Amino acid sequence: MDPQWTTLKEFSLPSERGNERQAMTQVADAVKELGLPAARLEKLKTAVAEATMNALEHGNKFHADVPVLIKVLTSPDAVAVQITDHGGEQNIPEAETPDLEAKLAGMQTPRGWGLFLIKNLVDEMNVTSDEKHHTVELILKRTEVNHGE
Amino acid sequence: MANELTAAVQLSAGAAVIDLKGEINAFAESAMNAAYAQAMQSKPSSIMLNFHSVDYINSTGIALIVSLMAQARKSGVKFMATGLSPHYLEIFKITRLVDFMTIVPDAASAASVVAKT
Repeated sequence: MDPQWTTLKEFSLPSERGNERQAMTQVADAVKELGLPAARLEKLKTAVAEATMNALEHGNKFHADVPVLIKVLTSPDAVAVQITDHGGEQNIPEAETPDLEAKLAGMQTPRGWGLFLIKNLVDEMNVTSDEKHHTVELILKRTEVNHGE
Repeated sequence: MANELTAAVQLSAGAAVIDLKGEINAFAESAMNAAYAQAMQSKPSSIMLNFHSVDYINSTGIALIVSLMAQARKSGVKFMATGLSPHYLEIFKITRLVDFMTIVPDAASAASVVAKT
């Protein structure tokens, strides 16, 4: 990562259902001093919650003793949140656009919104993996991007 | 758990309003389903979800809402929502839920819409 990035906070959470709320709160607290516009902060919080949920459930299978690691960084232009789980042996699927018509018709499960939401809420989502870990990196510009937001 | 969902059903003329309070996540499923079942007992022509006191909706919560919308659609019941914060209204736009429900901006408009149902 570019040397202009500095770490604001690092923390870990046990992999228990519902702990994405703690991730959201702690990330919001870490970036408070940056004064992000309210709408952007809400987008970051929701994206962090969704990525953490995936890490808790799909990466760490809700094993409470296996932590999710979260690192919050900032640069002059952006905020980055890196969320790491221990599910490196499985692939993270590409974010697909859910077929709402099919879901409403009962032809598909109503679930499957998490990755789609994340991709639509942040400016960049990067996924890296090794044999043991997945890291999802969310990057959000600190000011509003000028395309109809 | 931080803020468990409660759901209260108000019946008025042909409409049922479900006032939601708390978080719409995996823990909310039984409360959502029970409220929907209670609302449907009055055979309403429309169901309105009131999100005014909802402070968190995650992707599992979106799925719960989609599931209720699917059931309502199958029964020919119109689906409406009110009280969404600007952020969750944006989420409903991103997910296209707004294309399949009527969004009513505030409580006064909601009362008027329900009265006309």
